Amino acid sequence: MEAAQAERAGINLKPSGRMPEEASSIETPVETGKTVGNIAVDDPIFSCRDVDVFYGEKHAIKKVGIDIGKNQVLAMIGPSGCGKSTFLRCLNRMNDTIPNARVVGSILLDGKDIHDKKQDVVQLRARVGMVFQKPNPFPKSIYENVAYGPRIHGLAGDRVELDEIVHSSLQRAGLWEEVKDRLQHPGTSLSGGQQQRLCIARTIAVNPEVILMDEPCSALDPIATARIEDLMEELRQSYAIVIVTHSMQQAARVSQRTAYFHLGDLIEVGETDRIFTNPRHRLTEDYITGRFG
Amino acid sequence: MALSLEGHTARAFDGDLSSLHIQAVAMGALVIEQVQLAVNAYSSWDRSIATLVLERERKINLYDAEIEEAALQVIARRQPVAQDLRAVFAIDKVVTELERAADEAKKLALTVLAESDASGFRPGAATAREARALGRVATAMIRSALQAFDLLDPGSAASVVKQDQEMDAEYANALRRLLTHAMEDPRRLQSTIEAAFIMRSLERIGDHARNIARHVGFIGGLDPAATGVLPASLTIKN
Repeated sequence: MEAAQAERAGINLKPSGRMPEEASSIETPVETGKTVGNIAVDDPIFSCRDVDVFYGEKHAIKKVGIDIGKNQVLAMIGPSGCGKSTFLRCLNRMNDTIPNARVVGSILLDGKDIHDKKQDVVQLRARVGMVFQKPNPFPKSIYENVAYGPRIHGLAGDRVELDEIVHSSLQRAGLWEEVKDRLQHPGTSLSGGQQQRLCIARTIAVNPEVILMDEPCSALDPIATARIEDLMEELRQSYAIVIVTHSMQQAARVSQRTAYFHLGDLIEVGETDRIFTNPRHRLTEDYITGRFG
Repeated sequence: MALSLEGHTARAFDGDLSSLHIQAVAMGALVIEQVQLAVNAYSSWDRSIATLVLERERKINLYDAEIEEAALQVIARRQPVAQDLRAVFAIDKVVTELERAADEAKKLALTVLAESDASGFRPGAATAREARALGRVATAMIRSALQAFDLLDPGSAASVVKQDQEMDAEYANALRRLLTHAMEDPRRLQSTIEAAFIMRSLERIGDHARNIARHVGFIGGLDPAATGVLPASLTIKN
């Protein structure tokens, strides 16, 4: 009936042979080192330029340049193996621990090269904390999990100061009310979501400037995920946060800027508002709309 | 260049979007017929055609409700982003424009039905001719806009702008003649106002067509004027 009406009205209702390949006027070529969008920000905590990472012969990251702004959440998205986690691990030199991994290029933290010979790696990892996919509390008490970092970094003069750091860190991680009566219980006795917040408390206990999160919610249920996301919004008032996530909805919910990686190239970076409504690169569009591969 | 709603890894998503799109195009085809019938009903003062227009109006409203519900489902279940999100958003808006265009057609039919007995507002030969001329332009505009919408081709939507200029000229001519007519004999004032409302309805249908073209441009990119997809003049009219 509709078809007949449409035909009389001179309208072709049939699919018009629209092929995805010819569908878009947005940019399509991948040119290494030519990221679409503005990689720079006004007040960067990290400034990375021409970063290459090699695992032996494998060229895992290609000429990536991007700034990470203070008090911002930067989400890094892309298909598996695109290099987003590898890039994240460059930021606190976690790749140093991988045999035959080689990082080339300039990564400045507050204007200073993190690969400088004088740079103490332990100090760097205190300034640039990391939260992993699977919560990994130490096999110690809740209290000790948080107190460990401040103690080895000598941040507390006495027990009272240490108590205060543990209290405020748990408070900021949104865990204090749930654990204040059982601080001596093992960290592993907590639920998955609580353990992840304990790891966040442990990270912020040493006053970092940046928190790196590598799929921090992928092992958590939706409620625990929502609590971590809520926490990220609070934490960004004090820290810069970089999150690697496979959930595009999560990237859209929590971040102010989004970076899209593809086969080691940083394809596009931009305001999250724009990336999810009007991406400029074809590969970004295909990935976030579920047309990839 | 035409855009595509297809190519998702989850092919059911292709189906959801295409079905939404095809439904909206089919509704558009029905609206074109409604406009044509309504203009016929008015210019030939035919009560039976006017009744037909009112009956079919229910189907338009049904389409409107069904497509809106389907669009809501796609948003809830698929969480579309980027071009998919713009498409769902624009399809919903196109459907609203179509529904309003059909409402204008309904006004013509109601005029015929309300005044059929007295025949006081029956258009004279010149008014009927003008209504037919405006109706032709309005129909052509909706058809152009719908073709661009069917093909998802923002570039071809630009032709609606030219037709809109033609519509503005025709509308101005019709109003000028009606005004002169009323000034010659003030007893004709009421019927002149009624005829002017009819012309206004047809002109509004052209505006809705123009808005549809604008929504097609929106699917192509958030800021069609800036990206050169559509001329800046192709702005939404309310």
